[in-house]
Amino acid sequence: MNKQTQKTIAIFTLLVSIFLINPPASAEKKLTGDEIARRINARDEGESVSRKLVMEMIDRRGKRRERVTLGFRKYFGDEKRTVIFYQSPKNVKGTGFLTYDYPKADVDDDQWLYLPAMRKVRRISASDRGDAFLGTDFSYEDIKKETKISLEDYQYSNIGEEEVDGHHTIIIEQIPINKEVAKELGYSRVVSSVDSEIWMTRKSEFWDVRGNRLKTIYTREIRKVQGIWTAHRLEVINHKTGHLTNFTFSEVDYSEGIDDDLFTKVMLKRGVR
Amino acid sequence: MNKQNNGFHWFFGLIVITTGLLFFPLLARVEASGKQQGFFEKLLDRTSSSTLIEGESAIGTRDGNSQKLELIFEPEIEMKLPFRSRLKAIGRARGDFFDRLSPGEASQSTVSKLSRRQMLGNQTDVALREFTFEHRSNKTFVTIGKQQVVWGKADGLKVLDVVNPQDFREFILDDFEDARIPLWTLNIEVPISEIDVQILWIPDQSAHILPEADAAFSFTAPRFVPIAPPGIQVDLRSAERPTRFFSDSDSGLKLSTFWKGWDLTLNYLYHYDDFPILFQKMAISNGIPTVTIMPRYERTHLVGGTFSNAFGDLTIRGEAGFSFDRYFLTENLDDPDGVSKTDELAYVLGFDWYGLSETLISMQLFQTWLTRNPHGFIRDAVDTSITLLLRRTYLNEVLLTEVLWLNNLNDEDGLARPKLSYELSDALKIWTGFDLFYGAQDGLFGQFNQNDRFVFGFEWGI
Repeated sequence: MNKQTQKTIAIFTLLVSIFLINPPASAEKKLTGDEIARRINARDEGESVSRKLVMEMIDRRGKRRERVTLGFRKYFGDEKRTVIFYQSPKNVKGTGFLTYDYPKADVDDDQWLYLPAMRKVRRISASDRGDAFLGTDFSYEDIKKETKISLEDYQYSNIGEEEVDGHHTIIIEQIPINKEVAKELGYSRVVSSVDSEIWMTRKSEFWDVRGNRLKTIYTREIRKVQGIWTAHRLEVINHKTGHLTNFTFSEVDYSEGIDDDLFTKVMLKRGVR
Repeated sequence: MNKQNNGFHWFFGLIVITTGLLFFPLLARVEASGKQQGFFEKLLDRTSSSTLIEGESAIGTRDGNSQKLELIFEPEIEMKLPFRSRLKAIGRARGDFFDRLSPGEASQSTVSKLSRRQMLGNQTDVALREFTFEHRSNKTFVTIGKQQVVWGKADGLKVLDVVNPQDFREFILDDFEDARIPLWTLNIEVPISEIDVQILWIPDQSAHILPEADAAFSFTAPRFVPIAPPGIQVDLRSAERPTRFFSDSDSGLKLSTFWKGWDLTLNYLYHYDDFPILFQKMAISNGIPTVTIMPRYERTHLVGGTFSNAFGDLTIRGEAGFSFDRYFLTENLDDPDGVSKTDELAYVLGFDWYGLSETLISMQLFQTWLTRNPHGFIRDAVDTSITLLLRRTYLNEVLLTEVLWLNNLNDEDGLARPKLSYELSDALKIWTGFDLFYGAQDGLFGQFNQNDRFVFGFEWGI
C-alpha cells in the first residue's frame, strides 16, 4: 500500500467517522407532519400557570386599545380549565371569561362570560371556535390552544424548512379534516413554522375558508420560565382588515399552586383577589 | 326614631366597627416593618379606584321636547384589608338639567332612610350606591353592606331578579344596574359539596320608587292605577310600609350547581312585594262619594329556579318563579277593597343563537299565569310577551349595533330599542338610539306611547 493509498484511506475513514458521529440535519429521517404535531403537543406547559397579559389592539389607522388581564390555567386530570379576569380599562374591568376544555374531541367546551354591567354569569356557546376572541385577532380556538395545536382537526404534512427570527424551523401544512371543521375553525389552510429544538411554533399563516390569506401569528420572546419554554409575546396581523393584536405576557409563574376554586362561576363574578 | 332606624344604625355600625378593627393589623404590620412605609402609603398600595362619568340626553320624537339631559359621576374605591377582606364603595352624583323624570324634589318615601339619596335641590342628588365589607374564610364569602344581588337568567325581564327594588323613573329604559335600589344586606356564600349556597338577610325595607303623576313615565295603565269614575272623589293615603327591623326583614336562599353541562339554581325569597297594593274603600264623605286608597305592602313567598346549557350554536336558558298570595286590581264590584289575591307563576324561556360570526340573535318567551282567576281582574289571567334581540359587532368590537324588541301579545303593545355604540378610545364610548313605544294607552308599554325618544350619550371611564 503506497503512501497515496494510505492517505486516501485515512481521509475516507475520518470522513466516515465524522459522518457517523455527527450526521448532518439533512440526513436525519424526515419527520412526518403528525409526528411534529405530536412533539408540539408533548411539550411541557406545566400543570398550572398564572400570568399577566396585556392585549394591545391596533386598527389600520393606528388607533390603539389596550386591555390588561390576569389569566390562570390549570389541568384537572385531562380537563383543562382557564379563567381570564379583565383588570383595565374601566369599561371592561371586572369582565371574566371561564372555559372548561374537555379531552374528548366530540364534547363541546363549557364557557361562561361575566359582564359586570349585567351582574350575571352568562353561559355562552363554545361551538364557534373560529369567532374572534373578545375583539382581538385571535380566535377562541387560538386562545384555547395557546401555543399548541389540535391533532383531531387537521391533517398534517411536513413541507420543508425555513429560518424564522434566526431559528431553524420545520414547515408543516395543516388542512382541516373536512369542510365542517374548516367552517368551525374559520380556516381552510394553516402553514406553521415549528422550531425543531423546542417544538414551538414561531410563525403561523392562516387562510380563510374561501382560500384568502387571513392572518399571520408570530410567537416571540420565547424563553424558559421555571424550566418551561414560554412565549412572552404573540403578534397577529390580520391581512384582510389591517388590524393588529399583540399579546404580551409577564409575571409568568408555573410554580404557584392555584386554588381550584378560582375556576368557578362564583370566583368569575367576584374577580381575582 | 322607629325600630327600623335603630336596627339600621346597629347594622351600619357593625360594618364600620369591623372595618375599623381590620385597620389595626395593617397598622401593626407597618410598625413591624420598621416604618419603611407609612400607614397611608401602605393603605394606598392596597387601594384601587376608578371613576365613571356618563352623560345622556333624551329628546321626545313626538314633541321635540327634551326629556332629560343627565350627567352622572360615579367614583369607585376598593381597599384590600388584612385577613382576606376587602372594602368597596361606589358613590354617585347625578344631575338632570330638565328634571322631567321626577319633577321637584323626588319623593323617597318608599326607601329606607339609610338607603336614600341626598337631594341637592330638585335636579341633583348624591347617593352611596354600594358600600360593602367582604371577608373570605376558607371557601365562604361573607359580604355585608349596601349591595345589589342579582338572580335569574332573563334579559330585560324580571322574574327572579326581584331581590332589589327598582327606581322606575325611566320605566325600564334605564340600565338595571343603575335602576336597581341597592339594599343593606348580609350575603353569605358557602359551597357545600357540589352545591353553592347563598343565604341572604335583608333588613332594608326599601321598595320600588314609582314615578309621581307629573313625571314623564308615571304609570297610567288601569292594571297599575285604579281609575275613578266621573264624580267620585279620590283620597290617596300614605303607603303603609313594613318598619320592624327583624320581623319585616326579607330573606333568601339560592342553591346553585353545575350538573352534566347544566347550570341549575333553586331560589327562594321571603319578601315584601315591592309594588304597593292599592286597597280601596268606598264611602260618602260630606255628601260626595269618595274612594279612599290605602296602599299597603304585603309579604309573599317566591319559589323558583333557573337553568342554562349550550347545544352547539344554541344556548338555552330559563327561569321560573311561583309567588304565593299576590294581589291584583279588580273591577269586580262585589270585591269591596278593589283587589283580589291569587298565586302567580311567571317564567322566561330564552334562546341565544351564536351561529353567525360576531352576531347574537336572542329570543325570549315571557309568560305570567294567575292561578286563580275570579271575575273582574283588570289584567288577563295569562299574559304573554316575547322579546327579540339582534346584536352584531364590527371593527373588532369597536362598533356595536343592536335592536331590542319587546312585544306584549295580550295588549299588542311593545317597545323597540335600536342602538348604535362606538368606542372612540379605551376610555370613551359614545352611543345613540331610539326608544319607540307602540300600542294602546292601557297597555304596559302603550301607556308610554307619547314618550318615544331619541337618545345619545357618552361614557368616560377613568
